[in-house]
Amino acid sequence: MLFLLAPRKYAIKNRLHRLKPGDGVKTAFLGLLGLGFWAFMFGISFRVLTYFRTIEGLGDLLAIRLLSMILVVFFSVLVFSNIVTALSTFYLSGELEILHATPIHGEDIYRSKFVETLVDSSWMVLIYGLPVFIAYGVVFKAAAGYYVGLALTVVPFLIIPAGIGIIVTMLLVNAFPARRAKDILVLLGLLFFMAMYILLRLLQPEKLVDPDTFPTLVQYLTAMRGPVSPLLPSFWAAKSLSPLLRGNGGDALFYLLMLWSTALALIVIGEWVCMKIYYRGWSRSQEGRKAPLSRSRAADLFFTLVSSPFRGRLRAIVLKDVKIFFRNTSQWSQLFLLVALIVVYLYSFKLLPLERAAMPSFFLQNLISFLNLGMVGFVVSAVAVRFVFPAVSLEGESFWIIRSSPLSLKQFLWAKFLSSLLPLVILAGILIVISNIFLRVTPFMMTLSVMTVIMMTFGITALGVGLGSVFPRFRYENVAQIPTGFGGIIYMLIAMLFIGTVIILEAWPVYRIFTAQTFGRHIPDSGWVAIVMSFALVVVINLLAVLLPMHVGLRRLREPDS
Amino acid sequence: MIKLTNLTKIYGKLTAVNHINLDVGSGEIFGFLGPNGAGKTTTIRMIAGLLQPTEGTAVIGEYDIQREAIQAKAITGFIPDRPYIYDKLTATEFMHFTASLYDLTDAKNRIIGLLELFGLVDWMDELVENYSHGMKQRLVMASALLHEPRVLVVDEPMVGLDPRGARLVKDIFKDLASKGVTVFMSTHTLEIVEQMCSRVAIINQGNIIAQGSVQDLGRMARMQDSHLEPIFLRLTGGDEVLDS
Repeated sequence: MLFLLAPRKYAIKNRLHRLKPGDGVKTAFLGLLGLGFWAFMFGISFRVLTYFRTIEGLGDLLAIRLLSMILVVFFSVLVFSNIVTALSTFYLSGELEILHATPIHGEDIYRSKFVETLVDSSWMVLIYGLPVFIAYGVVFKAAAGYYVGLALTVVPFLIIPAGIGIIVTMLLVNAFPARRAKDILVLLGLLFFMAMYILLRLLQPEKLVDPDTFPTLVQYLTAMRGPVSPLLPSFWAAKSLSPLLRGNGGDALFYLLMLWSTALALIVIGEWVCMKIYYRGWSRSQEGRKAPLSRSRAADLFFTLVSSPFRGRLRAIVLKDVKIFFRNTSQWSQLFLLVALIVVYLYSFKLLPLERAAMPSFFLQNLISFLNLGMVGFVVSAVAVRFVFPAVSLEGESFWIIRSSPLSLKQFLWAKFLSSLLPLVILAGILIVISNIFLRVTPFMMTLSVMTVIMMTFGITALGVGLGSVFPRFRYENVAQIPTGFGGIIYMLIAMLFIGTVIILEAWPVYRIFTAQTFGRHIPDSGWVAIVMSFALVVVINLLAVLLPMHVGLRRLREPDS
Repeated sequence: MIKLTNLTKIYGKLTAVNHINLDVGSGEIFGFLGPNGAGKTTTIRMIAGLLQPTEGTAVIGEYDIQREAIQAKAITGFIPDRPYIYDKLTATEFMHFTASLYDLTDAKNRIIGLLELFGLVDWMDELVENYSHGMKQRLVMASALLHEPRVLVVDEPMVGLDPRGARLVKDIFKDLASKGVTVFMSTHTLEIVEQMCSRVAIINQGNIIAQGSVQDLGRMARMQDSHLEPIFLRLTGGDEVLDS
């Protein structure tokens, strides 16, 4: 069975052996980012757990309850992630055709694909779960036995969701063809994620880092009665780890055996299910699909309407992009996420207790509105990295059509810019106007922030299109791979730098004007000159943010072997 | 109609195409042959303006593909070896999109005509993702002819086509040539070259090692009256491999 994993092994080896000069820096940069997140997770867990331990009598119980909750969340995420991964590894992966054409036993395919699914869907949870588990060990001053127990618990805890995920996938694909099952899953996944996101946001997790709110959190956790069913593997994992944390053996061995026996049983049951129904499902997965909803007359009308402000070749590009976007479930379904983002963002502003603040409220409201500018810029960039940054890469292997046509690359790039700009301006406008209404800002601040945000959206869009061309990824299996790569991170960093610079350049003159108004101070002529210069610089930076990335992107696309 | 002068492409240490010179006239069907990795696709991609030459020029009609790319591309139709098309569009939508790229107005009738010609009318409102390789290939060909190009650059036209499709393509190319369209085509199907091409060039390891009519190549290989296959193998050194 192991020989079937050889291609992946060789691919990793070849990638490491053929690192280009810039790749080391890239890896180091991504490594540092990962490490930063790791340290952050450890820090938060450490802080919360240390606080819990200070509560007499109740503290340890709370810590263990939190552990069970974390394990339940991990378990559900793992099951879902395994279903999605199993769809790719068992049904959609390109190598399957070759594998099925060779005289390999079904069991071997199952076992190798099981390992692939397990590794692909678990590594992230494992890496980011570890700092939490280690924080538990450190805070509880656990002995070495805890860490050995942790390793022995984690392995079956990861295998069980993989087993469940693979079996569920096989059953699903036997009910629907794999590609349709994938669409449904993508949609369900996003709705699930959106619900989790809104729920978490409404629970206000930032209170975890605010010591003043800890007592309420304790009450909340105590009030939750038995959130975990004893039939769930996450319960067994919590039960096998908690005695080790406290330094006594307890029932750890029993629950560990429960985990291992279930994990091994699932591997065997999975193999049995695989031998019965896998081949039939795989064969079905290659069947064509019926036309989706996006091919209806109403959809056509919508596409025509959306592209109507544009003319000629520009219209052709916009029309094509809009159609492709709405016919690809993994793309349009992300709009749900966008709605969730807007709702949560605006809801947070509604909750702000401005009237209870110590400072003069009009001053504070305008100050927050100013920070809001930066936040809206950030949200728009986050949306742009998902929807605008991949715009050029999305041409994929069909890019030859554009390149061999008389449409110049310059026209093509500006078409991408214009078609992305309008939706982003609408989004930014909605966010800034409604949040400013909630903040009850002055008309001056409203005008300034709307103008600034719209101006920044031009820069954010151009940065997305331009850097998307500098870091194109024409060969991808999943659209989500494009913004999560190195280029996407660089885009976010540059966008943040751009937004920060604009905010700083505007903050100073606005501060001067406000203090002058509030305290009746006079601004001398030299002061006005500096204020005007500052605003002029904002305009220049915005212009540069539009022209420079587009220029660099165009140059990159024109490079001989791009 | 196509004039390549000292056309060269170097990738790092590898010279994929080495100072090649070719001149193809109007209405000619020109065969471009060579073993795998000889430099055929690289040359074709330079002619189509998808790849920048390291040195030399490619002139289509009266336009240099690098300096007057837009004008050159406006009179060229390109058919790549792998028919990657936007999967989420239907054939009709893809044809309309192509028409817009070439600034064609009122192309509706021509689109229907071409889809009919290539046997795709029954599938015209189906998403391209449901097409077979051969159907995609036919759709790419239909789109390449939409703007009535003066030059057709084709990389491996017969891959994936059924015998009927292959026959259709041969007839269309001959018809186009009779109307003065230049067809520059790379292929491994030597019978097609024998049947269709007025002249042939063979590229090996980036160099043009022979060019002329099939009879000319036979004389060069000292294999008069032979079919193209043994001539090709002799000229490219492939017969030594077979003999050994």
